[in-house]
Amino acid sequence: MKALVFHAEKCIGCKLCHLACSAQNEGEFNPRLARLKITSRYSRDGLVVNGQTCDLCLKCVEECPVDAIVVKNERLSFLDELCNDCGICVEICPHQVIIKKEKGIGVCVQCRSCANWCPTEALTFEEVKN
Amino acid sequence: MAYTGKILRVNLSTGKSTTEPLNEEWAREYLGGKGLSIKYLYEELKPGLDPLSENNKLILMTGPLTGTIVPNTGKLSVAAKSPATGTILDCSIGGHFAPELKYAGYDAVIIEGKAKSPVYLYIEDDKVELRSAAELWGKGAHETEHIITETLGDFITMAIGQAGENLLPMACISSELYRQAGRGGIGAVMGSKNLKAVSVRGTGGIKVPDIRKFSAALNKIKREDTMSDDNIWAYTDGTPNIVDLSQDAGILPTRNFQDGTFEDYDKIHSEAVKGVLKAKKACFACPLGCGNYVEKGKTMVEGPEYETLALCGSNCGIGDLEAVIEFNRLCDDYGLDTISAGNTVAFAMEMTEKGIHDFGVRFGEAAMYLEMPGLIAKKEGVGAELSRGVSALADKYGGKEFAMAVKKLEIPGYEPRGSWSMGLAYGTADRGACHLRAWPAAEDAFGDIDPLTIDGKAKMVIDMQDDNSVKFSAIFCDFWALSTERMAEILSLALEREITAEELTVIGERVYNLARLFNEREGFDRKDDYLPERIYTEKLSTGFTKGKLLPREEYEKMLSEYYQLRGWDEKGLITEAKKKELDL
Repeated sequence: MKALVFHAEKCIGCKLCHLACSAQNEGEFNPRLARLKITSRYSRDGLVVNGQTCDLCLKCVEECPVDAIVVKNERLSFLDELCNDCGICVEICPHQVIIKKEKGIGVCVQCRSCANWCPTEALTFEEVKN
Repeated sequence: MAYTGKILRVNLSTGKSTTEPLNEEWAREYLGGKGLSIKYLYEELKPGLDPLSENNKLILMTGPLTGTIVPNTGKLSVAAKSPATGTILDCSIGGHFAPELKYAGYDAVIIEGKAKSPVYLYIEDDKVELRSAAELWGKGAHETEHIITETLGDFITMAIGQAGENLLPMACISSELYRQAGRGGIGAVMGSKNLKAVSVRGTGGIKVPDIRKFSAALNKIKREDTMSDDNIWAYTDGTPNIVDLSQDAGILPTRNFQDGTFEDYDKIHSEAVKGVLKAKKACFACPLGCGNYVEKGKTMVEGPEYETLALCGSNCGIGDLEAVIEFNRLCDDYGLDTISAGNTVAFAMEMTEKGIHDFGVRFGEAAMYLEMPGLIAKKEGVGAELSRGVSALADKYGGKEFAMAVKKLEIPGYEPRGSWSMGLAYGTADRGACHLRAWPAAEDAFGDIDPLTIDGKAKMVIDMQDDNSVKFSAIFCDFWALSTERMAEILSLALEREITAEELTVIGERVYNLARLFNEREGFDRKDDYLPERIYTEKLSTGFTKGKLLPREEYEKMLSEYYQLRGWDEKGLITEAKKKELDL
């Protein structure tokens, strides 16, 4: 399966990926609703770039008690009619890239909006082991 | 919607904050950013007030595109009456503060009054508080930001350093350490209000009509226009590439504008900066990422930008990149504008070398030079005098003919004797000598037009000033050379109404005239639109501009033509007909 891969050394911290994701999946420009987390900030020791993306580890699929997150056509798919808002997936996601919404959750569905917007190819889709 | 429609008004004297609707009529006439903040200040500030009194107001203004995916719209306009010049002052700061403010639900914050003791302003969506800054007062802008980030977490902060606390006319505001609202003493306005920092976190979003279509259209524009050959220099080099251009054109300020080329320019030029580059860093929603994060020896900075390389490098005779980087870092941390600080140190160097007054600094000597930011910001030793800037120094100690400032604001890094249009741009810039109101050096000194003639220059400067006025109101960053047509196309998509390029050109002209009207109300006119004597009478001695001047009579002619084309009278006052035409 192919998943999103982040290349920190190429990232300029512009957040266009967050904007593209939230626009595509949530219908608004809101970086905090993006289904990836890229930060680029200055600490006391210099510039720190961090990136968390869904690497299709499938922990959420395994742990969801009501099977509301499934793999379909090699992508994650969220079935909101099954979701009971337990929040387990949000908690156990090792990358913290599942967002909690008023009702239900949001997972990376590999729409590729983020990579399409990234100006420096810091986000790519590559084959991952699963 | 593109605007949140809400303004946050914070009164530091009473500690109360209120919200009010955005004035929609003004938003139509002035868009946002530069234009709208100047409109609020023009309407709300009493003429003649002391910029460092509680009567001055500090406005943080976003624009209709802030927080959206439109490239290069992450900037914030920060405006007040200038403590350095007494003119209107609007600065543009990059980073990530502006979108965060918009996500918190506000188009702008208007800060009034003066706190009884040091505070910082905390904004988290609807939660607005003044928090004690007792522990932060006396600290640098960098340490202040680190402490606030460690306390609050995921917030974006703008802070002042010691220079702002000490009310210096060259005090800036810093955000994310290395982004600045730099000029005109905007940091001193915060200091005078006992306001150490503003921190914001916003969790809301911004909607535009048909967001997927909007995003797709903008992604195409980003690829084909924003990231085209015209602008990609910002990513590949950033502003240091101007060092080479200026050197070749003979307009690189050297040793307090005594010359236009620098023998060690290749130690501070773009390739030299690339040699210590660690990473590129962008402002919010910017695909160009002009920021160069560099490390050299024990020091680091995001920069140095061209203005710093020129004013704190060649203009101080310093060809040691590590020293310039460290000077840059110190200025950012103490909260000093590098253009004014570099100019002031260079002026002191010339005064010392000419034996007029010994300030203990000499061209090319890095050790004392590196002591200056701290001494200036803290007003210690010789820094107490230097902290007042070149015009005040010249008034007291002499050297007026080479005090390189216009309207008491120190001159940026383009020598007017090799770019006559830049002379006019400095003379007529709304906040004193500034290269961002118009940057005509791109067309003459660096382009195909004769730099040493007045022909066509007045028109060129006016067009650029009006273009930039609307651009900074929209708000777009300077580094995307986008056409007014493109701006109209994007604004029409975002605002759900047809906006034409012609309409935007009128807004640009209106904004520039309102800034002039503000200054006119403060007593400014033609007498204030002149350059330092050195530019008219001292010939440059090396390079392409060897033997060149900008003769005063040529400048006078250019200025008169400028007024005439602007629809201003011979004294530089806006005519009634022009006011009526622009609905002022």
